[in-house]
Amino acid sequence: MKTILRGFRLALFAVMAAVSSGNAADKVLNLYIWSEYIPEQVLADFTRETGITVNISTYDSNEAMYAKLKLVGKGYDLVVPSSDYVGLMRRQGMLLPLDTKKISNFAKVDPKFVNQSFDPGNAYSVPYMWGSTALAVNTSLLPAETVQKTADLWKPELKGRLLLPNDPREVMGIGLKTLGYSINEKDPEHLRQAYEKLRTLMPLVRVFDSDSPKQALLSGEVAVGLVWNGEAYTANNENRAIRYVYPPEGFSLWVDSFCIPRGAANIESAYRFIDYILQPKVSAAISESMGYSSPIAGVSEFLPEAMRANPIVNPSAQDTARGEFLDSLDESTLKLYEQYWIKLKTK
Amino acid sequence: MSRWLHRGYAGCVYAFLYLPLVVVAVFSFNSSKYSLAWKGFTLDWYVRLWQNSGLMTTAFNSLLIAAASATLATLLGTVAAFVLHRYRFPGRRTLFGTLFVMMMSPDIVIALSLLLLFLALSLPLGFSTLLLAHTVLCVPFVATTVFSRFVGFPDDLVDAARDLGAGEYQVFRHIVLPLASPAVAGGWLLSFTLSLDDVIISFFTTGPDFEVLPLRIYSMVRLGIKPDVNALCVVMMAVTVTALVLSKHLLKEKK
Amino acid sequence: MKNNTLFRRLLIGATWAWMALLALVPYLMLVGASFFERGTDTLVRPGLTLSNYLHLLSPTVFTMAADSVALAAVAALLCLLVGYPFAAILAHAPARIQPLLLLLVMIPFWTNSLIRTYALVMLLKADGVVNSLLLHAGLIAEPLRLMYTPVAVFIGLVYTLLPFMILPLYAALKTVDPQLLEAGRDLGAGRVRNFLHITVPLTMPGIIAGTMLVFLPALGMFYIADILGGARTMLVGNYIRDQFLVFRDIPTGSAASVTMTVAMGLLLVLHHLARRRSGKEMLP
Repeated sequence: MKTILRGFRLALFAVMAAVSSGNAADKVLNLYIWSEYIPEQVLADFTRETGITVNISTYDSNEAMYAKLKLVGKGYDLVVPSSDYVGLMRRQGMLLPLDTKKISNFAKVDPKFVNQSFDPGNAYSVPYMWGSTALAVNTSLLPAETVQKTADLWKPELKGRLLLPNDPREVMGIGLKTLGYSINEKDPEHLRQAYEKLRTLMPLVRVFDSDSPKQALLSGEVAVGLVWNGEAYTANNENRAIRYVYPPEGFSLWVDSFCIPRGAANIESAYRFIDYILQPKVSAAISESMGYSSPIAGVSEFLPEAMRANPIVNPSAQDTARGEFLDSLDESTLKLYEQYWIKLKTK
Repeated sequence: MSRWLHRGYAGCVYAFLYLPLVVVAVFSFNSSKYSLAWKGFTLDWYVRLWQNSGLMTTAFNSLLIAAASATLATLLGTVAAFVLHRYRFPGRRTLFGTLFVMMMSPDIVIALSLLLLFLALSLPLGFSTLLLAHTVLCVPFVATTVFSRFVGFPDDLVDAARDLGAGEYQVFRHIVLPLASPAVAGGWLLSFTLSLDDVIISFFTTGPDFEVLPLRIYSMVRLGIKPDVNALCVVMMAVTVTALVLSKHLLKEKK
Repeated sequence: MKNNTLFRRLLIGATWAWMALLALVPYLMLVGASFFERGTDTLVRPGLTLSNYLHLLSPTVFTMAADSVALAAVAALLCLLVGYPFAAILAHAPARIQPLLLLLVMIPFWTNSLIRTYALVMLLKADGVVNSLLLHAGLIAEPLRLMYTPVAVFIGLVYTLLPFMILPLYAALKTVDPQLLEAGRDLGAGRVRNFLHITVPLTMPGIIAGTMLVFLPALGMFYIADILGGARTMLVGNYIRDQFLVFRDIPTGSAASVTMTVAMGLLLVLHHLARRRSGKEMLP
């Protein structure tokens, strides 16, 4: 049986080699990134400049990305996990060490975002974009005062008009915040309380969407959404009545970073891509197009005035002070989050 | 009276089946980008589609995998049907049973069991794994199509050939295959459309460097509707309808 | 002669080889994985445990499965109610145009189901075709909530699976001998009695086949629940997918798949018995 299997595999590899020989080695990059997170124009420009074709696959949660890498392992050259997952994947040896010396533009990263606790010395990650998760409210469907804080989400008039991300950390996060806990809570009792609190929110939810929540907001399908700031930014550009509220209870901040997963085949392409993206001009273009904040120092000179002053992309110091960065959690705590999440979703 | 009622009811069901497709087709010719209002006839979205190299590659991948897996499935399925029809051997019933279970298995179960196999063999997900998976999906359909053609086959013809000294291979090559050829071709086209139609198996068994259309459409639907997707859907419908009409035509000839 | 035996052995061997490798082995692996334990570093840890199956009995999973089964059953029932009269009309249409009418049923059925789901989104959105027309006609004051509701999931399932119901019903109805119905009428049976006592029993195999062909896929079509149900309505398919692709719990996902397959097998046995009783040989 074993010889048959081996022969079979050999034959398959031969077929694959024949099929893939069309592509010269190291001229592709398999990028695995959040959906709606990089403009097509940037990819096209990168290909024109370097000759490297970018195959893009997308995910809507860190959990899905992590599971896919665990399951399939091979095939992706560059992933963009949030900081908490950078920590987790680093600890589990799922990432290749990065040599920041090979990235000439690394020096341009704002020191605020370098050498963070989840990845000391940036041995495995380089920041891509950062942002917040807060409330987008369509004020043409609801009076603006209806939703001013996270606790307002429980108001009965929101029944069937609420959108939440398909993301355990963010959803558990609003439960924890309304109870006055940290979004990085590890105490099982506090997590249980947050779960109990959120259970009563579930009947109000119309849709879970982390791919493109702006769709449901713009079509009027929902009136309120817990969304990434980039989504709120695009929605607000198309419909000024959609406002972004930083709730007084606090909200989550996050940084997403480039990492090269173990099993990557096109490592040189990955380095070139990172270096390309870190150019202030490119980073500014991404920020302007997607509505997320760039971690590169000196992008502001490439950004239009309106963008620099937009509180959705650049929150005031006062608002930022209430934000809390999503930290890496240990495996057993993560599992608790996960279990509560399954319960919330299946109920 | 009741005749008109019948016609009206049938008309309603057809409307239900076709209305969404018609809407997509109509909007693929609408020059308005976002709103539903009719802003005039245009072929721009088809031009845009043609120029969208990413989307065209994906479409090409889908057609490639459909043609390749249909061919492989037709080969294996025809042989399986021949073996099951002509030979008696130990495990024949098990083969029958496995084919039947394969045909009736939910797609997600086929997809996951194959995913486990590919992981265990540490095959990288991509063209080859998707090809195998779609072949597995299609073989039972080819086998049953061809097998049902063998039922009511002129056995005396085969016997006569054997009496005249033809070997098994000659019988297969010169008598069985030509007689079964409409069913074989029909099976190929059936497999071709099955592969194009599949979502669930592709979802689990292909990798990042070989994207197929359903997956692309899946992410596009989730990211919002764009007019060039409408154009793409219309093109895909046209390909499927052509394959379907051809297969009907071929299968009808046997009667 | 020797060549003949060789040819025969070759064909049988080849058929067995790929079937074993691509059908039997994967199924067995799925069954095997369902008894393994979940590993932390590797995906599964060899061991023998029933905990994955017990896990399926936990209240949350059980409720989800029951809801999903109910949803699929209602979808099958709706298909039957819509499809039966339609199939009857088809079966009694002039013989000349029947192939064309059938082809018209098949075309949507062979169009990629994601394309069709996408088409439904265009109809059902708050600013989609249906709402625009109704608003325009003044029939409603504000858009109906159609998307991201169980109703949308029903529409999606019925729309996608209706041809699976119509085709076997049509085939069954074609076999009903009109003379039987005439005989029934001669004996004084009304249309309703004729229908209930002659047509329905005679078409029972078609009813069962159609119901199964709708019910079984309906459990697995996770993308319809995702796109039209807003990831709120969980089908068994969504649960299994998430076990594999979000929560990395392969043993539990496998156990759920195996359970689904076994349930399907039981339904098939019932189907087989029903067909045998009605005196027809089952296909292979």
